[in-house]
Amino acid sequence: MVLARVKGTVVSTQKALQLDGLRLLLIEKIDPVTMNGKGDYVVAIDSVGANAGEIVFYVTGSSARMTDTTKGKPSDATIIAIVDLVEQNGEYLYRKSDGEG
Amino acid sequence: MTFARVVGTVVGVVRSDKIEDARFLLVEICDQTGKRGGDFLVALDAVGADRGQMVLLAQGSSCHWSKLTANQPIDTLIVAIVETVDESDKVVYSVPGSDA
Repeated sequence: MVLARVKGTVVSTQKALQLDGLRLLLIEKIDPVTMNGKGDYVVAIDSVGANAGEIVFYVTGSSARMTDTTKGKPSDATIIAIVDLVEQNGEYLYRKSDGEG
Repeated sequence: MTFARVVGTVVGVVRSDKIEDARFLLVEICDQTGKRGGDFLVALDAVGADRGQMVLLAQGSSCHWSKLTANQPIDTLIVAIVETVDESDKVVYSVPGSDA
């Protein structure tokens, strides 16, 4: 699973029928040490109700089709969790309750 | 499978997997000697790994083949804690304090 920050939404009207009603989010991979974006963007299907600015982690490959939201759907990247905290060596790199970073 | 070092914990309350007591660890990909590479992943812990330990990661759909993760949206799984690595008859990594 890869950590990323939700940057925005992707809207598409003409798309595979199975994608109807799903939220497509634009996410940027982050470096967990600095919590800064790496400039590497992915479009992922949201299965947890994530919002812009939130830190999430997502799965890729066939694992992306294992959520109730994406079962049988053509997804290769699915957000499966909203992150509350990231800890390294006893120090918090990120705490959602603190806001950004 | 890939070598990685456990460096921290990731906690998320809102999740779409249905694994009870899931423990997600922040791991940093390393080489066979344990040297860290600066690439981080979030991995589900299936073995009870601790901070600092070198572990083996299974990635991709292979992760669905454990009981814990069958049909779950998990793509990075810690499947083993590494004790020693030997390369060309030389021990290149061993857990500090082991006899190897």
